[in-house]
Amino acid sequence: MVILFAIGLYVVLTKQNLVKKIIGLNIMETAVFGLIVTSGMVTGGSPPLLGQGLEPPYASPIAHALVLTGIVVALSVTALALVLIIRVKAECGSIELDELQVDLQPLEPDQ
Amino acid sequence: MRNALALVVVIVLAGLMMAGVSQLPPPGSPDGAVHRHVAAHYIDGGKEAAGAPNLVTAVLLNYRALDTYGEVVVIFAALLAVLAVGLAGHSRGPQRGADELPVSPVVDLVIRLLAPFIALFALFMILEGHVLPGGGFQGGVVLGALMILLGLVLGPRRLRRMLPTPALFWTRSVALLAFALVAVAGLALAGWLFALPEQYWLRELIIVGLELAIGIGAAFALVGFYLSLEADRHR
Repeated sequence: MVILFAIGLYVVLTKQNLVKKIIGLNIMETAVFGLIVTSGMVTGGSPPLLGQGLEPPYASPIAHALVLTGIVVALSVTALALVLIIRVKAECGSIELDELQVDLQPLEPDQ
Repeated sequence: MRNALALVVVIVLAGLMMAGVSQLPPPGSPDGAVHRHVAAHYIDGGKEAAGAPNLVTAVLLNYRALDTYGEVVVIFAALLAVLAVGLAGHSRGPQRGADELPVSPVVDLVIRLLAPFIALFALFMILEGHVLPGGGFQGGVVLGALMILLGLVLGPRRLRRMLPTPALFWTRSVALLAFALVAVAGLALAGWLFALPEQYWLRELIIVGLELAIGIGAAFALVGFYLSLEADRHR
Protein backbone atom coordinates (compact mmCIF):
# COMPACT_ATOMS: atom_id res chain seq x y z
CA MET A 1 0.00 0.00 0.00
CA VAL A 2 2.89 2.34 0.82
CA ILE A 3 4.44 1.54 -2.56
CA LEU A 4 1.14 2.24 -4.33
CA PHE A 5 0.86 5.53 -2.42
CA ALA A 6 4.44 6.42 -3.37
CA ILE A 7 3.73 5.73 -7.05
CA GLY A 8 0.70 8.00 -6.91
CA LEU A 9 2.64 10.75 -5.15
CA TYR A 10 5.46 10.50 -7.70
CA VAL A 11 2.95 10.84 -10.55
CA VAL A 12 1.34 13.88 -8.91
CA LEU A 13 4.71 15.54 -8.34
CA THR A 14 6.39 14.89 -11.70
CA LYS A 15 3.72 14.79 -14.42
CA GLN A 16 2.89 18.12 -16.04
CA ASN A 17 -0.35 16.86 -17.58
CA LEU A 18 -3.27 17.76 -15.32
CA VAL A 19 -5.25 14.62 -16.18
CA LYS A 20 -2.24 12.49 -15.24
CA LYS A 21 -2.03 14.36 -11.94
CA ILE A 22 -5.67 13.41 -11.27
CA ILE A 23 -4.85 9.78 -12.10
CA GLY A 24 -1.97 9.95 -9.60
CA LEU A 25 -4.31 11.35 -6.98
CA ASN A 26 -6.67 8.45 -7.58
CA ILE A 27 -3.82 5.96 -7.19
CA MET A 28 -2.98 7.54 -3.83
CA GLU A 29 -6.62 7.34 -2.76
CA THR A 30 -6.77 3.67 -3.74
CA ALA A 31 -3.72 2.99 -1.57
CA VAL A 32 -5.36 4.61 1.46
CA PHE A 33 -8.64 2.75 0.92
CA GLY A 34 -6.77 -0.53 0.58
CA LEU A 35 -4.90 0.09 3.83
CA ILE A 36 -8.08 0.90 5.78
CA VAL A 37 -10.03 -2.07 4.39
CA THR A 38 -7.14 -4.43 5.16
CA SER A 39 -7.09 -3.25 8.76
CA GLY A 40 -10.69 -4.44 9.15
CA MET A 41 -9.93 -7.91 7.81
CA VAL A 42 -10.06 -11.10 9.90
CA THR A 43 -8.16 -14.19 8.76
CA GLY A 44 -10.72 -16.87 7.95
CA GLY A 45 -13.54 -14.50 8.85
CA SER A 46 -16.76 -13.82 6.97
CA PRO A 47 -18.38 -10.66 5.63
CA PRO A 48 -20.50 -8.83 8.22
CA LEU A 49 -23.85 -10.07 6.92
CA LEU A 50 -26.10 -11.49 9.63
CA GLY A 51 -28.72 -14.13 8.97
CA GLN A 52 -26.96 -15.66 5.96
CA GLY A 53 -25.56 -18.70 7.76
CA LEU A 54 -22.08 -17.18 8.02
CA GLU A 55 -19.84 -18.02 10.97
CA PRO A 56 -19.07 -15.40 13.66
CA PRO A 57 -15.58 -14.01 13.19
CA TYR A 58 -16.90 -11.11 11.11
CA ALA A 59 -14.79 -8.52 9.33
CA SER A 60 -15.11 -5.08 10.87
CA PRO A 61 -18.04 -3.24 9.24
CA ILE A 62 -16.69 0.15 10.29
CA ALA A 63 -13.68 0.00 7.98
CA HIS A 64 -15.94 -0.92 5.06
CA ALA A 65 -18.36 1.92 5.78
CA LEU A 66 -15.56 4.48 6.11
CA VAL A 67 -13.98 3.40 2.83
CA LEU A 68 -17.34 3.49 1.05
CA THR A 69 -17.75 7.10 2.17
CA GLY A 70 -14.19 7.84 1.09
CA ILE A 71 -14.75 6.39 -2.39
CA VAL A 72 -17.78 8.56 -2.97
CA VAL A 73 -15.90 11.68 -1.88
CA ALA A 74 -12.97 10.72 -4.13
CA LEU A 75 -15.37 10.32 -7.04
CA SER A 76 -16.84 13.77 -6.42
CA VAL A 77 -13.39 15.35 -6.24
CA THR A 78 -12.35 13.63 -9.47
CA ALA A 79 -15.45 14.76 -11.34
CA LEU A 80 -15.02 18.35 -10.20
CA ALA A 81 -11.32 18.32 -11.11
CA LEU A 82 -12.05 16.95 -14.58
CA VAL A 83 -14.61 19.67 -15.27
CA LEU A 84 -12.15 22.31 -14.10
CA ILE A 85 -9.49 20.82 -16.38
CA ILE A 86 -11.87 21.06 -19.32
CA ARG A 87 -12.39 24.74 -18.48
CA VAL A 88 -8.63 25.27 -18.26
CA LYS A 89 -8.29 23.68 -21.69
CA ALA A 90 -11.04 25.91 -23.07
CA GLU A 91 -9.59 29.10 -21.54
CA CYS A 92 -5.85 28.52 -22.00
CA GLY A 93 -5.68 25.98 -24.80
CA SER A 94 -3.56 23.43 -22.93
CA ILE A 95 -3.59 21.09 -19.96
CA GLU A 96 0.19 20.83 -19.66
CA LEU A 97 1.31 22.83 -16.63
CA ASP A 98 4.65 24.01 -18.13
CA GLU A 99 2.88 25.29 -21.26
CA LEU A 100 0.28 27.01 -19.11
CA GLN A 101 2.92 29.03 -17.29
CA VAL A 102 4.34 30.28 -20.59
CA ASP A 103 0.88 31.32 -21.73
CA LEU A 104 0.20 33.22 -18.53
CA GLN A 105 3.39 35.30 -18.58
CA PRO A 106 2.17 38.17 -20.85
CA LEU A 107 -0.82 38.79 -18.57
CA GLU A 108 1.24 39.90 -15.60
CA PRO A 109 2.53 43.32 -16.76
CA ASP A 110 -1.05 44.55 -17.27
CA GLN A 111 -1.90 44.29 -13.58
CA MET B 1 16.50 17.19 -12.42
CA ARG B 2 13.05 17.95 -11.08
CA ASN B 3 12.05 14.31 -11.52
CA ALA B 4 15.12 13.14 -9.59
CA LEU B 5 14.30 15.55 -6.76
CA ALA B 6 10.69 14.31 -6.69
CA LEU B 7 11.93 10.74 -6.64
CA VAL B 8 14.13 11.46 -3.62
CA VAL B 9 11.26 13.17 -1.79
CA VAL B 10 8.92 10.29 -2.56
CA ILE B 11 11.43 7.65 -1.45
CA VAL B 12 12.12 9.45 1.85
CA LEU B 13 8.38 9.85 2.50
CA ALA B 14 7.73 6.22 1.57
CA GLY B 15 10.46 5.13 3.99
CA LEU B 16 8.86 7.14 6.80
CA MET B 17 5.41 5.74 5.99
CA MET B 18 6.79 2.22 5.76
CA ALA B 19 8.23 2.67 9.26
CA GLY B 20 4.81 3.86 10.47
CA VAL B 21 2.87 1.07 8.79
CA SER B 22 5.21 -1.57 10.16
CA GLN B 23 4.24 -0.43 13.67
CA LEU B 24 0.55 -1.11 13.01
CA PRO B 25 -0.91 -4.30 14.52
CA PRO B 26 -0.87 -7.10 11.94
CA PRO B 27 -4.17 -7.34 10.07
CA GLY B 28 -6.21 -10.50 10.24
CA SER B 29 -6.20 -11.17 13.98
CA PRO B 30 -9.76 -11.21 15.40
CA ASP B 31 -8.50 -9.59 18.65
CA GLY B 32 -7.23 -6.43 16.96
CA ALA B 33 -8.34 -3.03 18.17
CA VAL B 34 -10.52 -2.58 15.07
CA HIS B 35 -12.66 -5.53 16.13
CA ARG B 36 -12.95 -4.99 19.87
CA HIS B 37 -14.66 -1.71 20.69
CA VAL B 38 -17.62 -0.38 18.72
CA ALA B 39 -17.30 -3.00 15.99
CA ALA B 40 -18.14 -5.81 18.43
CA HIS B 41 -21.07 -3.78 19.72
CA TYR B 42 -22.34 -3.20 16.17
CA ILE B 43 -22.10 -6.92 15.38
CA ASP B 44 -24.01 -7.82 18.57
CA GLY B 45 -26.91 -5.42 18.22
CA GLY B 46 -26.63 -3.88 14.77
CA LYS B 47 -29.35 -5.86 13.09
CA GLU B 48 -32.05 -4.97 15.61
CA ALA B 49 -30.89 -1.41 16.18
CA ALA B 50 -30.55 -0.39 12.56
CA GLY B 51 -33.01 -2.66 10.77
CA ALA B 52 -30.35 -4.04 8.44
CA PRO B 53 -28.65 -7.46 8.68
CA ASN B 54 -25.92 -6.16 6.37
CA LEU B 55 -23.84 -4.45 9.05
CA VAL B 56 -22.05 -2.18 6.60
CA THR B 57 -25.42 -0.73 5.67
CA ALA B 58 -26.34 -0.57 9.34
CA VAL B 59 -23.22 1.44 10.14
CA LEU B 60 -23.67 3.70 7.11
CA LEU B 61 -27.35 4.48 7.47
CA ASN B 62 -27.90 4.38 11.20
CA TYR B 63 -24.87 4.44 13.50
CA ARG B 64 -22.91 6.83 11.29
CA ALA B 65 -25.82 8.36 9.43
CA LEU B 66 -24.46 11.87 9.96
CA ASP B 67 -21.25 10.89 8.14
CA THR B 68 -23.28 9.50 5.28
CA TYR B 69 -25.39 12.64 5.24
CA GLY B 70 -22.19 14.62 4.86
CA GLU B 71 -21.16 12.32 2.03
CA VAL B 72 -24.45 12.93 0.22
CA VAL B 73 -23.93 16.66 0.72
CA VAL B 74 -20.42 16.37 -0.75
CA ILE B 75 -21.59 14.60 -3.90
CA PHE B 76 -24.46 17.08 -4.26
CA ALA B 77 -22.11 20.04 -3.79
CA ALA B 78 -19.72 18.58 -6.38
CA LEU B 79 -22.63 18.24 -8.79
CA LEU B 80 -23.63 21.87 -8.17
CA ALA B 81 -20.06 23.02 -8.74
CA VAL B 82 -19.76 20.98 -11.95
CA LEU B 83 -23.02 22.40 -13.24
CA ALA B 84 -21.99 25.94 -12.28
CA VAL B 85 -18.65 25.61 -14.09
CA GLY B 86 -20.44 24.15 -17.12
CA LEU B 87 -23.06 26.93 -17.16
CA ALA B 88 -20.41 29.62 -16.93
CA GLY B 89 -18.93 28.26 -20.14
CA HIS B 90 -22.22 27.90 -21.98
CA SER B 91 -22.99 31.60 -21.88
CA ARG B 92 -19.99 32.29 -24.08
CA GLY B 93 -20.19 29.50 -26.64
CA PRO B 94 -23.80 28.39 -26.80
CA GLN B 95 -23.89 26.15 -29.88
CA ARG B 96 -21.68 23.28 -30.89
CA GLY B 97 -21.52 21.31 -34.10
CA ALA B 98 -23.45 18.07 -34.58
CA ASP B 99 -20.28 16.06 -35.00
CA GLU B 100 -21.16 13.12 -32.79
CA LEU B 101 -19.49 9.95 -33.97
CA PRO B 102 -21.84 6.97 -34.31
CA VAL B 103 -20.81 4.01 -32.15
CA SER B 104 -20.11 0.59 -33.60
CA PRO B 105 -23.32 -1.42 -34.28
CA VAL B 106 -22.00 -4.27 -32.11
CA VAL B 107 -21.59 -1.99 -29.09
CA ASP B 108 -24.97 -0.45 -29.80
CA LEU B 109 -26.78 -3.82 -29.94
CA VAL B 110 -25.01 -5.27 -26.89
CA ILE B 111 -25.76 -2.24 -24.72
CA ARG B 112 -29.38 -2.19 -25.83
CA LEU B 113 -29.71 -5.92 -25.08
CA LEU B 114 -28.02 -5.70 -21.68
CA ALA B 115 -29.72 -2.51 -20.49
CA PRO B 116 -32.80 -4.17 -18.88
CA PHE B 117 -30.63 -6.66 -17.01
CA ILE B 118 -28.27 -3.96 -15.78
CA ALA B 119 -31.26 -1.96 -14.58
CA LEU B 120 -32.67 -5.01 -12.81
CA PHE B 121 -29.35 -5.70 -11.12
CA ALA B 122 -29.08 -2.08 -9.99
CA LEU B 123 -32.57 -2.23 -8.50
CA PHE B 124 -31.75 -5.54 -6.79
CA MET B 125 -28.59 -4.07 -5.29
CA ILE B 126 -30.50 -1.06 -3.97
CA LEU B 127 -33.51 -2.91 -2.59
CA GLU B 128 -31.63 -5.90 -1.12
CA GLY B 129 -28.65 -3.81 0.00
CA HIS B 130 -29.67 -4.02 3.66
CA VAL B 131 -29.57 -7.85 3.62
CA LEU B 132 -27.03 -8.87 0.96
CA PRO B 133 -23.84 -7.19 -0.27
CA GLY B 134 -24.80 -4.00 -2.04
CA GLY B 135 -26.53 -0.84 -1.02
CA GLY B 136 -27.68 2.54 -2.15
CA PHE B 137 -24.42 3.94 -3.45
CA GLN B 138 -23.35 0.75 -5.19
CA GLY B 139 -26.70 0.22 -6.89
CA GLY B 140 -26.88 3.91 -7.74
CA VAL B 141 -23.48 3.78 -9.40
CA VAL B 142 -24.59 0.78 -11.49
CA LEU B 143 -27.74 2.66 -12.49
CA GLY B 144 -25.75 5.77 -13.32
CA ALA B 145 -23.28 3.73 -15.39
CA LEU B 146 -26.23 2.24 -17.28
CA MET B 147 -27.59 5.69 -18.09
CA ILE B 148 -24.12 6.85 -19.21
CA LEU B 149 -23.87 3.79 -21.48
CA LEU B 150 -27.26 4.64 -22.96
CA GLY B 151 -26.04 8.20 -23.39
CA LEU B 152 -23.06 6.88 -25.35
CA VAL B 153 -25.30 4.77 -27.59
CA LEU B 154 -28.24 7.09 -28.11
CA GLY B 155 -26.26 10.31 -27.97
CA PRO B 156 -26.13 12.62 -24.97
CA ARG B 157 -28.71 14.98 -26.41
CA ARG B 158 -31.34 12.23 -26.63
CA LEU B 159 -30.49 11.19 -23.06
CA ARG B 160 -30.88 14.80 -21.99
CA ARG B 161 -34.30 14.98 -23.65
CA MET B 162 -35.39 11.79 -21.87
CA LEU B 163 -34.69 13.49 -18.52
CA PRO B 164 -36.90 16.58 -18.21
CA THR B 165 -35.54 19.37 -16.04
CA PRO B 166 -38.12 19.17 -13.19
CA ALA B 167 -37.46 15.44 -12.87
CA LEU B 168 -33.71 16.11 -12.74
CA PHE B 169 -34.29 18.67 -10.00
CA TRP B 170 -36.10 16.17 -7.80
CA THR B 171 -33.98 13.11 -8.55
CA ARG B 172 -30.77 14.98 -7.81
CA SER B 173 -31.95 16.30 -4.47
CA VAL B 174 -34.01 13.29 -3.31
CA ALA B 175 -31.15 11.75 -1.30
CA LEU B 176 -30.55 14.96 0.65
CA LEU B 177 -34.26 15.47 1.26
CA ALA B 178 -34.87 11.87 2.36
CA PHE B 179 -31.95 12.02 4.80
CA ALA B 180 -33.16 15.28 6.27
CA LEU B 181 -36.67 13.86 6.57
CA VAL B 182 -35.48 10.74 8.41
CA ALA B 183 -33.28 12.80 10.72
CA VAL B 184 -36.04 15.25 11.63
CA ALA B 185 -38.62 12.47 11.96
CA GLY B 186 -36.32 10.70 14.40
CA LEU B 187 -35.90 13.93 16.36
CA ALA B 188 -39.65 14.44 16.52
CA LEU B 189 -40.58 10.83 17.39
CA ALA B 190 -37.83 9.68 19.72
CA GLY B 191 -35.90 12.77 20.68
CA TRP B 192 -32.64 12.45 18.76
CA LEU B 193 -31.55 12.75 15.15
CA PHE B 194 -31.85 9.59 13.01
CA ALA B 195 -33.75 7.72 15.72
CA LEU B 196 -35.71 4.82 14.26
CA PRO B 197 -39.16 3.66 15.43
CA GLU B 198 -39.64 0.63 17.69
CA GLN B 199 -41.09 -1.84 15.19
CA TYR B 200 -38.50 -3.80 13.22
CA TRP B 201 -40.47 -3.82 9.96
CA LEU B 202 -40.77 -0.03 10.12
CA ARG B 203 -37.03 0.29 10.67
CA GLU B 204 -36.40 -1.96 7.68
CA LEU B 205 -38.82 0.09 5.58
CA ILE B 206 -37.07 3.35 6.46
CA ILE B 207 -33.65 1.86 5.63
CA VAL B 208 -34.89 0.58 2.26
CA GLY B 209 -36.42 3.97 1.52
CA LEU B 210 -33.15 5.71 2.36
CA GLU B 211 -31.24 3.26 0.17
CA LEU B 212 -33.59 3.94 -2.71
CA ALA B 213 -33.22 7.69 -2.29
CA ILE B 214 -29.42 7.44 -2.09
CA GLY B 215 -29.33 5.17 -5.14
CA ILE B 216 -31.39 7.54 -7.25
CA GLY B 217 -29.44 10.54 -6.02
CA ALA B 218 -26.06 8.92 -6.77
CA ALA B 219 -27.19 7.72 -10.21
CA PHE B 220 -28.42 11.13 -11.28
CA ALA B 221 -25.38 12.86 -9.84
CA LEU B 222 -23.24 10.61 -12.07
CA VAL B 223 -25.44 11.37 -15.06
CA GLY B 224 -25.14 15.06 -14.25
CA PHE B 225 -21.33 14.78 -14.22
CA TYR B 226 -21.43 12.91 -17.54
CA LEU B 227 -23.78 15.31 -19.30
CA SER B 228 -21.81 18.32 -18.11
CA LEU B 229 -18.48 16.83 -19.22
CA GLU B 230 -20.01 15.78 -22.52
CA ALA B 231 -21.44 19.25 -23.15
CA ASP B 232 -18.09 20.86 -22.33
CA ARG B 233 -16.22 18.49 -24.62
CA HIS B 234 -18.00 19.84 -27.69
CA ARG B 235 -17.07 23.44 -27.15
